[in-house]
Amino acid sequence: MTDNVFRSDVRAFLAESLTPDIKRAGELMTSVFADFDATMEWHRILYAKGWVAPDWPEEYGGTGWTLSQRYIFQEECKLANAPALFAMGLQMLGPMLIRYGTAEQKKYYLPRMLSGEDVWCQGYSEPGAGSDLASLITAAVRDGDDYIINGSKIWTSYAQHSNKIFCLVRTAKEGKPQAGISFILVDMDTKGLSVEPIVGLDGTVEQCQVYFDDVRVPAANLVGAENQGWDVAKSLLEFERGGHNFTIDHKKQMAKIDHQASTQRSAGGGLWKDNPVFAAKVADVAVDALALEFTELRVKGAFEAGGNAGALSSLIKVMGTEIGQRFNELSLEIMAEHAFVKQLDALVPGFEGDAIGPSCGLTTMAEYINNRAATIYGGSAEIQRDIIAKRVLHL
Amino acid sequence: MFIEYSEEQNMLRDSAERYLRDNYSFESRQAAVKQARGFDADQWQTFAELGWLAMTFKEESDGFGGGALETMILCEQFGKYLVLEPYLESVVLVGGLVEAGAQPEIKQQYLSGLIAGERQGAFAYLEEGAVADPTFVQTTAESSADGFVLNGKKTVVLNGPEADCFIVSARTGAVGQDSSQGISLFFIHKDTPGLSLTQYKTYDGRSASELQLENVAVSDQALVGELHNGFATATPVFSRAMVAVCAEAVGAMDALLAATVDYTKQRKQFGQSISGFQVLRHRMVDMFMEIELTRSLLMATAWKLDNHAADAELCVAALKAKVGKAGRYVSHNAVQLHGGIGTTDEFSVGHYFKRLAVIGVMFGSRDSHLSRYSQLSTQLSVEPS
Repeated sequence: MTDNVFRSDVRAFLAESLTPDIKRAGELMTSVFADFDATMEWHRILYAKGWVAPDWPEEYGGTGWTLSQRYIFQEECKLANAPALFAMGLQMLGPMLIRYGTAEQKKYYLPRMLSGEDVWCQGYSEPGAGSDLASLITAAVRDGDDYIINGSKIWTSYAQHSNKIFCLVRTAKEGKPQAGISFILVDMDTKGLSVEPIVGLDGTVEQCQVYFDDVRVPAANLVGAENQGWDVAKSLLEFERGGHNFTIDHKKQMAKIDHQASTQRSAGGGLWKDNPVFAAKVADVAVDALALEFTELRVKGAFEAGGNAGALSSLIKVMGTEIGQRFNELSLEIMAEHAFVKQLDALVPGFEGDAIGPSCGLTTMAEYINNRAATIYGGSAEIQRDIIAKRVLHL
Repeated sequence: MFIEYSEEQNMLRDSAERYLRDNYSFESRQAAVKQARGFDADQWQTFAELGWLAMTFKEESDGFGGGALETMILCEQFGKYLVLEPYLESVVLVGGLVEAGAQPEIKQQYLSGLIAGERQGAFAYLEEGAVADPTFVQTTAESSADGFVLNGKKTVVLNGPEADCFIVSARTGAVGQDSSQGISLFFIHKDTPGLSLTQYKTYDGRSASELQLENVAVSDQALVGELHNGFATATPVFSRAMVAVCAEAVGAMDALLAATVDYTKQRKQFGQSISGFQVLRHRMVDMFMEIELTRSLLMATAWKLDNHAADAELCVAALKAKVGKAGRYVSHNAVQLHGGIGTTDEFSVGHYFKRLAVIGVMFGSRDSHLSRYSQLSTQLSVEPS
């Protein structure tokens, strides 16, 4: 099948399957997460179609698509405003379990992940261990056939909606900090586990702190051997960094700015699009976004030729997030006072009231403030620069 | 994926890299700068023998049929080794214009000489007070019985002192709807009566001239391209020239980053290599990222020009704007991280800096290309590649 035929098949499916409410949830995204209920509804639709995990090997429920087809699928979903599926299970834990999990773990967890029965969150960061993740202290102590976990995890995205969490825990204190870490799967219903929501700057809850107070977990839930968790996690971080395509996001941001600049007036009477100072600022960011688009194509080319992204994936993470933030700033300049208005109810799909101000400014402020996190999560911009300094420049 | 180099292209890069590494040291380059000619005539002859000068001409002109990608591959290496020889001026600009638009008689007489490196050319397209706008042309060419008579003055004619021939832009008609209308291009031999030169050096170690034209009479055969519409011929040549200088910039930036990484590892202060300081490490990473983004744009732009993509001109504007910014960022920080030694004439870093300063504003500065990008991007959106 040619890529063009594939693309039109995907488009036809999206046109038929995206209900207005699901689509609205995608339009109203103000961070990497969309409305939970709408997202899970979309997850189940994709599952029924067999398209929920295109990146997985076919034998585990993947689609068998080429790299190019997967890219097209991702692009078309975003352009059609489909909500992004939660990545923690499908994008992160799934590929890792396929690589390191036991046969029993794969058989039990993978189908539940595909169907959406299990919703996973990630327990890595701790109040005292962020960029220096290896200094984590949440401890798992062996007791018969179980581990007993005590400690706390923080910045756990959507823990309030999850029924499972995968964690890095300390199982040894000797040697290098990395050498005493294990990777373990925990049921969120287990006694002693509690979730405390953290209210973000936009007034909504995406992050949580998760507390472990004598939480008893079967030793069979270890992934990889005891004290080998760091290697497992490292492979996962590669999935996290390699798995995102920024160009589509940037194009959508650019389209939004075009729309805002073509409808809103700037000082002195004309539209923003006719303000030469503003146009130059847009062009400045757009040129960098174009350069990043071609860099992503270089990486895609390297993958297709059987190579890997190497440290270009760190470059893409840094530049992709920083360019995205610059687009947010441009939108905020246009929408200005309209962006002040906090109307969280209008950001929920199915809202039937009258929103205040132009609809193109509804999400502007929330996107701007929420996107500051983009250069912090998934390896901060500074950590990424450290990686490039070490691995590419050999400093 | 659009960027796949052919075996020939890989060979071209490797052989250029190898030749220049072994035969084009910074010291010999500096010695050539101090000579009267300002470059090494033997090197130029070798470039011709290696086939580099013929690389991008059509096969029927006795070239090898290469395009913007080949221009890019060569110029990237020229930038890396700070090559002085007038490839841009004589081959890309004048060679390109002659091949695209010269009358058969001129083409036959001069093109093979340009390709063989026996003749040199210079493109005289700028006038005083308006270097940002090559369509500002007050030099006139009036019709005469058997051709044209030119009067006026051109400024900063790169490679002017070495040129055997010039291509001069002159006004033959009124400014139309578009300011580039009414301008024609003329091929003029340096010995033509009425033509006089004032020659000088440029900060990047090259030479240029002011060109005076006083009743310079040329025949009909001197017209290059269409009458009143010289920019139809010049515009694609300018695009190719921008790819050339931007590739040179990428090569120069690569060399600067490598030198800076190397220097900060060796240089010890406060009892340690200064490359251990995070503020310097991150600075060098930012240099690296600027270079890689520019390289991606460069490769894509060259490819799009060769494939006549609808958004090729948009990409040229983006590339030139990006080079303006990246060139400054990388060269400023290379000088800064080298400290005092970076500000001296004896050390290579400052010479790369000067070349990048020149490239950054040549053929339109960053701002002019950003506004061009703005205009073009409202006319078309970038196609998926």
